[in-house]
Formats: sequence, structure tokens, C-alpha cells
Amino acid sequence: MEYILHILIMILLYVMLSQSLTLTAGYSGLISLAHAGFYGIGAYTSAILSVNYGLPFLVTLPLAMIISGVIAIFVSTIALRTVDDYFIIITLGIQVVAFSVMNNWMSLTNGPLGITGIPAISIFGFAFTSKIAFLLLTLVLTALTYFILRNITQSPFGRILIALSEDEIFTKSLGKKVYFAKVASFTIGAMFAAIPGVLYAHYISYIDPTSFTVDESIFILSIVIIGGMRSLWGAAIAAAVLVILPEALRFVGMPSNIAANMRQILYGVALVVMMFKYSNGFGERKSVKAKVPS
Amino acid sequence: MQVIINILSATFIYLLVAYSFNIIYYTTGFFNLAHAIIITLSGYVSYFFTENIDLPFGVTIVIAVIFSVLVGLLTQLTVYAPLEKRDANPFFKLIASLGLYIVLQNTISVVWGDDTKNFQILKVKKGNEIFGAYITNLQIITILVSLGLFIGGLMFLKYHRVGRNIRAVASNAQLANIIGIDSGKVVLWSFGIGSGLATIAGILVSLDIGLTPSMGFNLLLYGVVAMIIGGVGSTWGLIGGSLLLATAQNLGAYYIDSKWMNAIAYVILILFLIWKPLGFSGKRLKKVEI
Repeated sequence: MEYILHILIMILLYVMLSQSLTLTAGYSGLISLAHAGFYGIGAYTSAILSVNYGLPFLVTLPLAMIISGVIAIFVSTIALRTVDDYFIIITLGIQVVAFSVMNNWMSLTNGPLGITGIPAISIFGFAFTSKIAFLLLTLVLTALTYFILRNITQSPFGRILIALSEDEIFTKSLGKKVYFAKVASFTIGAMFAAIPGVLYAHYISYIDPTSFTVDESIFILSIVIIGGMRSLWGAAIAAAVLVILPEALRFVGMPSNIAANMRQILYGVALVVMMFKYSNGFGERKSVKAKVPS
Repeated sequence: MQVIINILSATFIYLLVAYSFNIIYYTTGFFNLAHAIIITLSGYVSYFFTENIDLPFGVTIVIAVIFSVLVGLLTQLTVYAPLEKRDANPFFKLIASLGLYIVLQNTISVVWGDDTKNFQILKVKKGNEIFGAYITNLQIITILVSLGLFIGGLMFLKYHRVGRNIRAVASNAQLANIIGIDSGKVVLWSFGIGSGLATIAGILVSLDIGLTPSMGFNLLLYGVVAMIIGGVGSTWGLIGGSLLLATAQNLGAYYIDSKWMNAIAYVILILFLIWKPLGFSGKRLKKVEI
């Protein structure tokens, strides 16, 4: 039972991660490989603040989101000077720099040894120590994230994002602030990526840089692409499938280190296949067209 | 002085990687991240035949080149060419190549394991002394071989018929088709040459620092950074970019700490984008200026 709860919690964390990236990568077309970096920034911010300064969860969560957001504004204003291929390489760079900082800045992050003894979340005196309580908390935050992201994507701002991802110049000619919209979408995505980071840190009670590598970023991006790029529910389902997959493979009797590789091989194949499916662009989905009032 | 020698050998490795990547980028116009696996794979193939089957090292290099070229051609034939047929834009090919990279890298992990393999055939004796610094035989070989291949590549592109076809397809594929150049074949040529050059780079690096499944990705990213700094599409920019990157990394390692070398590469890239967004050569990164 504990095991199933653990998997459910991990699924919800990845649902949040992939849905926040859906806004950035799917709706505004800014394929980012830095998402695990922001996930890590959230985790480290909360871990450092709660271990060193004893701040409560209700303070560290907003602070983690704000710090992640500020960093995102700073890097995206630079990265968004480029487009497409170059943008991916730059975000990969941001990810590597973020990982280097977590791995090498000994005095702040304790380097490869990681931060231990992160306290359990407690809100107004109620400590979320049992798995079931933590699951409920995660579920509430996931629902909140989904609700906010859905409202953003269906708002006029969301339509600007879809428009600019399909034709930037045309969108600009309509008087929309393309650059601002891109920065905003990147920043919002990064802020929401900090939430699962905070939860993860308090849930495992130990974090080290290996949880926030480039591979993790690629994994989150794969979830978004496999989930159908512009579908929050698609991302959620893909997250569930990809998190359960290695566990299922292990259940069948595959050694766990090969199961991890198998999962990566499978989502690598899925990425290639999805590229064949989308080779005409992401804008083919009927539901997107139907939602734009004519 | 020692720093200068280290900078030089790093420069030439980056140059070779950047050049092999650039040949493919030049003709196809997309970032082929699966190129990283060619670098890794060649090291492993050479290692496997040297250590497990006991073939002489020279023969294993030939086998590695053949193997990598075949893999390079296969990726083009099975994935990129069909995508091209569907009019996929370069961006989608990049993601497909990322998927391909993940598949192949994990296959290597399954076959050979994730641990670092030691592959030092050229034993480090003491190194040769020049001007009070030591240069190992491997560093000399690295510099000479990379320089030779780079110049050879340039000559090939300039004077050989196939090389001229590659340049024709790179500048305008449709026009090249009209005058009877088979652009599909030319792209295959560029994949073959690029993979071949990457093989040599991969083996040189694995002789120096050993083998891990992720070695190629790091190296390729340095090559890509060197290419972007140098200005995309400029051959001489590649030299400048590689030199700048190697210098910054080695000075950083010397004065700060070698563990920051990874971060330094990208900080340079980001600084370059602020200060000189178009690279040394000034070519446009954006498709259109708005």
C-alpha cells in the first residue's frame, strides 16, 4: 500500500512538472530543456530555507516560486534573443549551469552530498508525515496547478501564445507583445515547476543534484510531447504511463537498472515516432481550432 | 606554458568535433544531436575490439570508422530522410535526433554498463619537454591528427567533386537538384564524412579520459557552443570559437576550479549572446528580424 501511495505521489509530481512545461513548450512553442533546473531550484530553495532557517512550508513555497520565477525572467530575456534550435541549446546550457551550481557550490548546496534532514511539511501545526496525508496535499496542489494553467491557456493570453507559436510575425502585426508573452509564459512555467520541487524535497527529506539532471529535463519534455504538446490532460496521462512503466517492467522481472534504461529507450522511440506524427506542426489539433471563436 | 599546451590540445579536439558536426549541419540545416552517440560509440567499438578481441589498435580504428559511418548513414536513411519527405521543419528533426540519441545511449549503457572504462593504450610515460612544459604523445597526436583532418576536410569541400556538390546542396538544395545533383546522396555523403571525423575525435578523447556512455553528449555540446560562438556557417569562425572556448575553460580550471568547466562553456555562450548575438562571423541567428 505504501508503495502504491509512493507511486501515486510521484505521478502527481510529474503531472505538475509536465503540465507547467506544457504551457511553455506546448502553447508558446518554446521547447525548453531547462525545466529540471527550475524543479531543482524549487527543491533547493525550500530545503535550504527550512533546514538552515527553519521557515515553514507556507513561507518557503511562495519564496521558492518567486526565486524560480526571478531566475526564469533573467535567463529567458537572454535566451529569447534566439529562436528554435538555438533556443533549445541555450536552455540546455541553462540546465547545465544550474546543475553545476547545485553540484559545485559546496557552501550553499553541499554539493554532491546533497541536503539531508529536510523536515516534513506542516501547515498550522498539522504535520504531513503519513503518505496518505502527503498524497492529499499533493493532489490539492496538482488540482490547483491544473486549474490555474487551464485558465491561463484558455484566456486571451493563451490564445496569444498559440498564435505566436504558429506565426510570430503575424501575431506581432496584430499589435501583440510577442517578446513579453514569451518571457511571461517561460516564467510562469518555471514558477509552477518549483512547486513539485518543494514537495519532492520535503517528501523524500533528502535531495542531491542527481535528481535534477539534463536527463530529467529530457524526460519531462518527452512527457509533454508524448502527451500531445497542447493538452494538459494528455500530459497528465503520459506522466502516469511513463512513471508506472519502469515499475511495471520491474514487476515482470527485469533487473531494475535495465528497467530504467528500457524506459528511456521506449520514450526515445516515442519521441521519434511523435515527430513523424507532428511533422506538419503542432497546430493540427482540432480541439484547439474549435476553441478559437470564429 | 603547461596551460597553453592544454588549451591547444583542447582547441583541436573541439575543432574536430565542431567541424564534423558542422558538415552535417551545413548540408541539412538541423542540429543532429544523435551525432553525440557516434562519438561515444566509436570509442566503445574501438575499446571492445582492442580489449576483448585483441585486435591491433590500428585495425580497431578502421572498424570503428566503418561502424560509425554505417550508424550515421542509417540514422539519416531511417529517420531524417523520411522526416524530410514529410516536410518536417529542422526543429522537429532536432527533437527526433534527441530521441534517437536517448535510444542509442541507453543501448550502450545496457551493453557496456554505466561505469567509466579505462582505455589508455598510449601509456603516459612522462611526456616530452618543450619550453619547460610537458606535452604527452597523445596530445601531439591529437593536435596533428585534428589539424590534418580539418585541413583535409576543407580541401575536400573546396576541390573534390563530392565536396563541391556538398557546398552546392548546402547553399540551395533545390537549385542543386535542378542541375542534376542528387541532394539525397550528397546529404548521405555529408553524414558519412561527419561521422567519420567524429569517430576519430571520439577515439582520441577516450584514449585521454576514458569511456562513459555520456561522454559524447558533453563533447558535442562543446562543439556546438564553439560553433555558435564562432558564428554558424563560418569555417574560420570554428577555429576562433574552439580557441576561445578552450582558453576560457582551461584558464577557468587553472584559476578557479576544474569542476566549473561545464558551466563556463555555457556562461560564455550566454555572455556571447548578450554582447554579440551573431557570433564572430555576424550571420543571423534569427530567420527574420522583426
